[in-house]
Amino acid sequence: MTGPHMDAQLNEYVDGTLAARDRASVDAHLAECAECRAAVAQLRSLAAAAANLPKSIEPARDLWEAIDQRIRHRATGNVRRVSRRALAAAAVLIIALRLYRLLSPSTAHYPPAGQGWAAVQADFDRASDQLSGILAVERERSRPETVALVERNLAIIDAAIAESRAALARDPASAELRRLFAAAARQKVELLRWAARVAAS
Amino acid sequence: MHSDPTDLIHRAQQGDRAAFEALYRAHAGRVYALCLRLTADRAQAEERTQDAFVRAWERLATFRGESAFSSWLYRLTVNEVLLGRRSERRREQRIVTTADPAALERPPGAEPASGGALDLERAVAALPPGAREVFVLHDLEGYRHEEIAALAGIAVGTSKAQLFRARRLLREALNR
Repeated sequence: MTGPHMDAQLNEYVDGTLAARDRASVDAHLAECAECRAAVAQLRSLAAAAANLPKSIEPARDLWEAIDQRIRHRATGNVRRVSRRALAAAAVLIIALRLYRLLSPSTAHYPPAGQGWAAVQADFDRASDQLSGILAVERERSRPETVALVERNLAIIDAAIAESRAALARDPASAELRRLFAAAARQKVELLRWAARVAAS
Repeated sequence: MHSDPTDLIHRAQQGDRAAFEALYRAHAGRVYALCLRLTADRAQAEERTQDAFVRAWERLATFRGESAFSSWLYRLTVNEVLLGRRSERRREQRIVTTADPAALERPPGAEPASGGALDLERAVAALPPGAREVFVLHDLEGYRHEEIAALAGIAVGTSKAQLFRARRLLREALNR
C-alpha cells in the first residue's frame, strides 16, 4: 500500500535523495509490492514528461513596447546611480567653493564690477544648472509631493536671486547686495543638496 | 544578426536600451513560460514578464557575471512572481474563506486531461497555487528544495510536501 509515509519515501527514492540505508529498504519493499512499483514507474514517467515540456513559450503579443515605456526614464542600477550621486556631490562642492569666494574677506580683491564678479556669478549659474539637470533626471525616482515642494521653493529662491542680481547690476559695489545674493544662493545650494539626497536615497 | 551576449549585457548596463531589447528578445520566451506556468494565467504572466524585465533593467548593475545572465534573470523572475503571489495571498486570506478544502484541490474550470504534453500543461495549471509553484520550480526548473524554501518564504518540509502533493494530483489527473 502507498500511504502518505510511503508516498514521501517513493518520491524521495525517485529523486535520489534517500540515504543509502533507506534506499535499500525501499528496494526491498519494491521487490514485493506491485502497487509501489507502479507508483515509482508513474513518478518516473511524470518526471520525464515534465523534463520534455518546452522551455520557451512566446507571449501572444510583443511586450517590449510596454517594457520600454517603463524603463525609458529609469537608471540601470547602482553604477549609474552612484555616478549621479557623485556628480551631484561634485556640483554642490563647486557651488560651495563659489560661495566661499563670494563671502570670504578676499571678496574685496574682486573688482566691484566687471569680469571677476561676473565670472563668479557665471560659475555659480553653471554649477547650479548642472545640479538642477541631475535632479531633473532623478525626478522620476522622487515622490510627486517632493518634486512639487522642491519646485515651489526653487521658484521662490530663484526670484530672490534674480532680484538681488538685478539690484547688483544697478549698484555693483554694494557689499550688502552681494551678501543678499550669496545668502539666496546658499539657500538654493541647501535645497538642491537636500533634494539630491532624497532622490538618491 | 548574432550579438555577443557579454557585449549586450555590458552595453545595457551603460543604459543602452537597444542592447537591452536584444536581451529581451533572446530571453522573453523563457521568462514568459516561467511566469505562465507559475501563475497559470496569461494576463498575469504578461504582467509579471514585464515586471521582471523592468526589475532586471533596474538591477543590471548588480549583475557581475558570477552566474550565467540567464540564471540571474530567471531567478529574478521567480522572485517577482512569488513576491506578487505572496502579497496576493495575503489579500485573499483576508477576504476568502472556504468550508470545503477539497474545492481548492480541483479549481473550477479545470479541463479534463487525456495524456500528452498539452494535458500535462493543463493539469499543472489546474494545481493549487502552492503545489504548482513548487512543482514548476523543482521538476521543470531544477531548483532544490532549500532554494525554493528561501524564494517562497516557506519551510523545506513544506516545499517537499507541496511537491509530493502536486505529483499525486498530477498522476491522478493524467490517469483519469
